[in-house]
Amino acid sequence: MTPVSAKLYTDDVSLLMVLIDTNPFFWNSVKSSLPISKFLTHVLAFLNAIVLLNQLNQVVVIATGYNSCDYIFDSSTSEGQTQRAEYLLQKLEEFVNKDESLCREDSVDGPGFSLLSGSLSMALCYIQRVFRSGPLHPHPRILCLHGSPDGPGQYVAIMNSIFSAQRSMVPIDSCVIGAQHSAFLQQASYITGGVYLKPQMLDGLFQYLSTVFATDLHSRGFLQLPKPAGVDFRASCFCHKNTIDMGYICSVCLSIFCKHQKKCSTCGSVFGQAPVQDSSTPDRKRKNPMDA
Amino acid sequence: MLMSTAERHHSLCGRLILPPPPPPPPPSSISSIFHRRRQAAASAEIEHFSVPNWSPESLAFAKEFKSIDQDMVKSDCLQVLRVVKMPQVKIVARNFMDMVASLPAMKLDKLYENSFICEAILRSLPPLAKKYVLQLLYIDGPVTAKWLEEWVLADGVSKHRVAVDRLIQLRVLTETVERKKEATYLFNPTFQRNLQKHIVHGGVLPREPMPSNIIARLPSLEDLDAYAVRQWELFLLHLISSSEAEKSTNISSSMMKVFQRGLLSQKDDKEPPKLTESGFQFLLMDTNAQLWYIVREYINNCEDLGVDTADLISFLLELSFHITGKAYNLNTLSDIQRSIIKDLADLGLVKLQQGRKESWFIPTKLATNLSISLADTSSRKQGFVVVETNFRMYAYSSSKLHCEILRLFARVEYQLPNLIVGAITKESLYKAFQNGITAEQIISFLQQNAHPRVAERTPSVPENVTDQIRLWEADLNRVEMTPAHLYDEFPSRDVFEAACDFAREYGGLLWENSKKMRLVVKAEIFTQMKEFLRRQKQ
Repeated sequence: MTPVSAKLYTDDVSLLMVLIDTNPFFWNSVKSSLPISKFLTHVLAFLNAIVLLNQLNQVVVIATGYNSCDYIFDSSTSEGQTQRAEYLLQKLEEFVNKDESLCREDSVDGPGFSLLSGSLSMALCYIQRVFRSGPLHPHPRILCLHGSPDGPGQYVAIMNSIFSAQRSMVPIDSCVIGAQHSAFLQQASYITGGVYLKPQMLDGLFQYLSTVFATDLHSRGFLQLPKPAGVDFRASCFCHKNTIDMGYICSVCLSIFCKHQKKCSTCGSVFGQAPVQDSSTPDRKRKNPMDA
Repeated sequence: MLMSTAERHHSLCGRLILPPPPPPPPPSSISSIFHRRRQAAASAEIEHFSVPNWSPESLAFAKEFKSIDQDMVKSDCLQVLRVVKMPQVKIVARNFMDMVASLPAMKLDKLYENSFICEAILRSLPPLAKKYVLQLLYIDGPVTAKWLEEWVLADGVSKHRVAVDRLIQLRVLTETVERKKEATYLFNPTFQRNLQKHIVHGGVLPREPMPSNIIARLPSLEDLDAYAVRQWELFLLHLISSSEAEKSTNISSSMMKVFQRGLLSQKDDKEPPKLTESGFQFLLMDTNAQLWYIVREYINNCEDLGVDTADLISFLLELSFHITGKAYNLNTLSDIQRSIIKDLADLGLVKLQQGRKESWFIPTKLATNLSISLADTSSRKQGFVVVETNFRMYAYSSSKLHCEILRLFARVEYQLPNLIVGAITKESLYKAFQNGITAEQIISFLQQNAHPRVAERTPSVPENVTDQIRLWEADLNRVEMTPAHLYDEFPSRDVFEAACDFAREYGGLLWENSKKMRLVVKAEIFTQMKEFLRRQKQ
């Protein structure tokens, strides 16, 4: 892994990885307030603006679906040069159809989470490839345009992606378009030094995007960008994927469990006999794993 | 009245070495736009005259002279002036946008009707200014200055000022100051409309490339790059010394003369022209900066040929939005543009090709990089020089031009097919310093062109080498200049000695010669000295 050295941050050439939530369950729920067509209009204008700002700027769009995720647009390829919007929309449609075909009836239950961990990993893989391309690479950052609720099942994978981004100094910006705050993205932006924002008025999404998220890493040193009022550091347990306030933690590998286990399912350490009362257990409450 | 003749003042020297001209004061927010525009125009001039240090004190002492002897003062003053007025120091301006900013308002507004210009201008702005443009893009009507300033952290205030001033210079924003002292900015409507259109519809190409079935043999991108570099180096070699170049370029000799103006000087026709100070500085700049220098000269010259500056600028910027390596039909150009493109081909910006029926031009990297290089981003070019701690220098290059450039400040020892080996020596550096190259220029050239292997390291050039280069330069600046006055023809030895003692007491005695009864004192104590001598006289 090649961490980005600070001396490369002298100019404003950026590589922006945009993760678009295409979860059909989410878009169905916000049909009235923000139809996806309107959302895409804003995002396309934003992408055009980023490419406009610098000839060397690069934009990559990854669609985060329900069952899969995929690269749908890369401005560095020859297809991305002209007719950006048409190309992107066509690829997006193909992706959504493919994503739908993977969907099995019985697997759908509840609100439906989108595969954020997958698209984050894909974005990081792409960035790693750019890092290795030579010393003169653009400065990467990730922007999550996310609406679906957090999928507790992806907790470990997402946290791992976040730490990987932190190590390679890639900020994760998050723009939450759903009704709920996203604890995952709050943590992601907090840990990687990105911006977390939940726009109040979705009609003016472009203005939010262009004012806050278009700021290149070089300029961020001089500007006051929105800071979250509070970050939800709650973790999910590894055994049942529930979001918990209080639980058991493996003293060897820091895995989190909601109930007492005889053996750690992650590292295999054997735990001693737990006391009968819950209150005396070495519980950890609302502690973020990154401090550990 | 004996003393008045004895008191002869020679201004030994107004300072021979002038400090760099003071930076222009930061424009206050209240100053009118007109003032700013004039400033922009001034900074766009290539030649920066170093302002003589004609401080209020020196004016005061000129007044003192007046009371003593009218005539003498006049001649002395002239002499002082003559000494003070130093030869102009030329700085090759690198920013092309200053030139655009200095265009008259009418022309500038007309330029913005072309959306490519808007795009190029936007890309040339400092990062913070770009962000402001984007932020204001969909806001109609004026916004207050405070609204923008609210975003800025304490560290970024100077950057913010630079960004906003740039936007105002380029007339992207117009500043109006209301009576309540609250400044407001209004976005240039044409500029705004063009960018909005661009953002909604995405980029459009200036003209359609020709279909590939008509064109028989299109050069590969590598070939095209090589062609551009070859053409550019040929031009540079030709520029420096016409004899060195094996092949002559098609650029007319009159045009070449224009480019050489300022870079070369020729005392008489017999001698070969010599590189001037700015000529050396020019050679050490990176390709994009050189290119813009030449383009600027070209533009300046074109006005004489009857081509409108604004048209030429817009054509050049438009050219940078073509796709490298694609062929474009020459028929789509106007007559003037066609004649321009021939010159550009000689510079390596485009390659001209002719088919059976049609002829076309293919933009090279140099052309498409034109608008990139406008921003002050670091040049993204692979270096070739390795400097070792023992002052040896290895340059992996086969270019004759590189060799010539290295020869400016280093001793080239031998040359292999792909490698130039040399050493940085005291003698070679002294030669460079005499030619007006500064140590900083040499160091920055070595750093900018560091071979990728050493560029990863910090520092890319060994510290002992950079320090030694600076030290050797400092060696040449050992003489210190002090403004002073010479006194001679004293009436008696007593008066002379008393004057010496007096000057010593004030710490202003610089030199004395008791045999000839002369002494030199610092200019600061001139008034006290005069008082003292007047008292002696009585």
